[in-house]
Amino acid sequence: MGRIKAIIRKEFLHILRDPRSLTLVFIIPLIQIFILGYSVSYDLDRVEVALIDLSQGGTSRQLARAFAASPVFQVRSRSADGGALSPAEAEDMLRQGLVREVIVIPAGFDRLAAAGRRAEVGLIIDGSDVNVANLVYQYSERVILDFNAARMGSAGLLKIGTQMHFNPEARSRFFFIPGLVAVILLMISAMLTSLSITRERETGSLSLLFISPLKSVEIIVGKTIPYIFVALLDGAVILLFARFWFGIPFRGALPVLLAFGLLYIVAGLALGILISTVAPTQTTAMLAALLITMLPSFLLSGFIFPLDSLSPVLRAISYVVPATYFLRIIRGVILKGAELRHFLFDGAMLAAYSLLLLAVAIRKFAGQRKAAQ
Amino acid sequence: MSGAAPAIEVRDLRKDFGRFQAVKGVSFDVAGGEIVGFLGPNGAGKTTTIKMITGLLKITSGTVRVEGLDIREHPAAARRKMGYMSQKFSLYPLLTALENIDFFAGISGLAPGERRRHAARIRQDLPEAVLRQKVQDIPPGIRQKVAMFVCLMPDPGIILLDEPTSGVDPEARRLFWNDIYGLKTQGKTLLVSTHNLDEAEYCDRILILHNGELIAAGEPDELLRRQGKADIEELFKDAIHDHGQN
Amino acid sequence: MKLRHLVKKELIEVVRQKELLFLMLVSPVIQIIVLGYVVSSDIRNVPVGIVNLSGGQAATRVIERVRRSPLFNVRFESARNEDSLDRLKKGEVKTVIVFRDALDRKRGASAYPEVQVLMDGIDANTAMIASGYFSGIIKGYILDDMEKKGRGLPVAARPLFRFNPQLRGINTMGPGIVAFLLTIITLFMTSTSLVREKEQQTLDTLLMSPLGALEIYVGKALPAILVGLVDMLIGLAVVVLWFGIPFRGGVPVLFLAALVYLTAILSYALLISVLSSTAQQAMFFSWFSLIIFLLMSGFFTPVDNIPYPLRLLADVNPMRYLVQIIREIFLKGNGIAYFWKELLAMGAIAVTLVSISLLNFKRFISK
Repeated sequence: MGRIKAIIRKEFLHILRDPRSLTLVFIIPLIQIFILGYSVSYDLDRVEVALIDLSQGGTSRQLARAFAASPVFQVRSRSADGGALSPAEAEDMLRQGLVREVIVIPAGFDRLAAAGRRAEVGLIIDGSDVNVANLVYQYSERVILDFNAARMGSAGLLKIGTQMHFNPEARSRFFFIPGLVAVILLMISAMLTSLSITRERETGSLSLLFISPLKSVEIIVGKTIPYIFVALLDGAVILLFARFWFGIPFRGALPVLLAFGLLYIVAGLALGILISTVAPTQTTAMLAALLITMLPSFLLSGFIFPLDSLSPVLRAISYVVPATYFLRIIRGVILKGAELRHFLFDGAMLAAYSLLLLAVAIRKFAGQRKAAQ
Repeated sequence: MSGAAPAIEVRDLRKDFGRFQAVKGVSFDVAGGEIVGFLGPNGAGKTTTIKMITGLLKITSGTVRVEGLDIREHPAAARRKMGYMSQKFSLYPLLTALENIDFFAGISGLAPGERRRHAARIRQDLPEAVLRQKVQDIPPGIRQKVAMFVCLMPDPGIILLDEPTSGVDPEARRLFWNDIYGLKTQGKTLLVSTHNLDEAEYCDRILILHNGELIAAGEPDELLRRQGKADIEELFKDAIHDHGQN
Repeated sequence: MKLRHLVKKELIEVVRQKELLFLMLVSPVIQIIVLGYVVSSDIRNVPVGIVNLSGGQAATRVIERVRRSPLFNVRFESARNEDSLDRLKKGEVKTVIVFRDALDRKRGASAYPEVQVLMDGIDANTAMIASGYFSGIIKGYILDDMEKKGRGLPVAARPLFRFNPQLRGINTMGPGIVAFLLTIITLFMTSTSLVREKEQQTLDTLLMSPLGALEIYVGKALPAILVGLVDMLIGLAVVVLWFGIPFRGGVPVLFLAALVYLTAILSYALLISVLSSTAQQAMFFSWFSLIIFLLMSGFFTPVDNIPYPLRLLADVNPMRYLVQIIREIFLKGNGIAYFWKELLAMGAIAVTLVSISLLNFKRFISK
């Protein structure tokens, strides 16, 4: 135990000797959360659209007014010279990205509507950004729905009441910020340890460590422990920031979150130390830590894309991404007030994950040590 | 001393790192064709001084002239007269010895014919198999030989070696000093820093640096005689001790 | 040409590190393929629960349509009032749809039920799409029903998605991921390179050589540009050949855009390299920048709605312009006439970054 303390002390000293890195570890996540908390959002509160009315009747003008009245749409129906917008101009605007959608009311629109036949309005939407395209389509449909209801007096015909739970205003900030906390915490944990052994390898001090009387387990565990404190403190700072700056509601129990957070951090650190035992140079170690944590945590954890939509193979892969578990936990605990019992499986997976990675790292390290002697 | 400018002229050289004074007003000359030993414990300011002579480190105050050229005014011209080998032998660990040699010859602007001639020359000294190994896998003694070779390729008149024998076994050290004498007979000027005190005897003159100050300078034998000391180690310890008293 | 030796040396160093080579050449392929499948899996299988308290035919018909839709995955259907909220909390379902008989003031029982949709609003995006889709189902039903009964017809929308008719997610994201991988690899390769030379003390030897500051600077950037362009080719091959993303524009403009972009990124990386004294610091700086570049690029979420002061940050993010240009080239087949403004903006950013970083580099060298 005394020997492992020596390693821990040395590692702590190393952390404190480079105050600049330590500052970065605490400052960077805060700035990231700050900037991204405001910037990452699916919400579109202003959409530029072009409108071409080829029918020019009473109903078509009513519809055009309905679009213009919508708070979301910024409708342009005139060209630069003041005349009506031509289809070619509208097409060009769509291509340039000046408008996201061109609404076309065809020539026979009023005639068909008056005859009680199916009158259609064309929505030509820029599909190059799928998410935006989907949203624009939804907004347009809603305008048309309201228009129909008003015109046909069928408002009472269809009653759909919608209730958004846990996030009544449907703000994507509630979705993204806890996710960002999870993703950032994993990356920082993995990066913290990813250099620890590689650095010693590059500076040559690794051979000293090899010939020391310490067991490989003691070295690996001793090198990990100090970073648990750093990462945990870091996590707490980020959470407080999310809570008090962005006003993310905190509906669950803090100890539950901390307990799971600890498991999660250890998993990240274990991943980093494993990379560190394998990577020959610091550049490689960093790139590996980043590539392994970043994209999978972004894509396969439910951070941005819902897991339910993934194919079975990808769903299976998502089970080896630690962020998957913690993301579920953090969103559940923070936003829904979920309890410990809801996440026993996730917690167990995180623990198993940490132990497995640490064991592999220790084996790798011991193997290299044997080969060096 | 002849009327020509000394190979290296250092006057009242100072270097501050923030509040810390690493070098506190050092002055000395190195004459052409001499081997000067730069002695002192770790942290005495040897590397800092050498780096200021090469112009790699900004001078806080004082002057350095290399064959009469002020290093701050004519860094490129002055550097062309010098060869420098840093503590870690400054080779690329992932490149083979031959690739390192070819690279450094290339960036020194040597013509392809000359580069081939150098490659042929190192092959006479070291086995081909070793030269084709990555530098990180070569033992320190040979690494030092390669680094020295690289340093000498552009044929500089003045050679600055920073701790060339650290981490090298005694036999390799002896051979190394043999080579240094060889260089002297070619008329080269050498400034060699070391913390191995027994190497002082190989030098024409020694400078002892401690806490950023020059505390003794002269020919080794003369210094011993003057101070009545049996060996350099004793001289060194007493000098540091006396200096600590001041 | 002393520069040639520098470039050759850097490339040998890359080739000698098997693991690095793997990360540079093979991992992009894997990442793009995985990402490709993630984003092409458009939202579906949203787990829903149905509580049907209405005995009417309309509710039954609508539920039938919900079950048939690939967007929904019906987890439970019940005729009793369930504790829907707890099921939402557990995460078992994301949406609960409740049908009740509605009373019509004029005719007594209405033909159409009253519908209530309870949603887990945390993933607001999915929730909105699901609710939109669901009201589409109901509207479709009513439309058909009214047509059958001979009542008037409402106005219908006929959407047409230009440039991406099936709204395939991969078409949007594929070109973006190429931009991202280009960035991550070159940024990290370069931001640590000076630190490495410092640690190996080879930097001193480089500086003692007759090489000028500009030569060293270019010698560091050029190999990374080569690696970046190779990575881009690999990435493009994967997205076009594997995923069949349409490539409608010209290759030369794409390379021009990539070159301008890489110049900006690499001068930024060299700036990081100059400002960092350890590899760890370089790593943190690069990571910080990478996340900001990526998430403010319009790659995942639109940049249009970023609030004002932060908007400026998005405006100087070179990745934002590259993502937009690449999408325009790929999907819209636009030529330079359409995105010269973006190209110019990227060029201005590149020039600014090169000047700042070169200045710092020169100062760093004569320390």
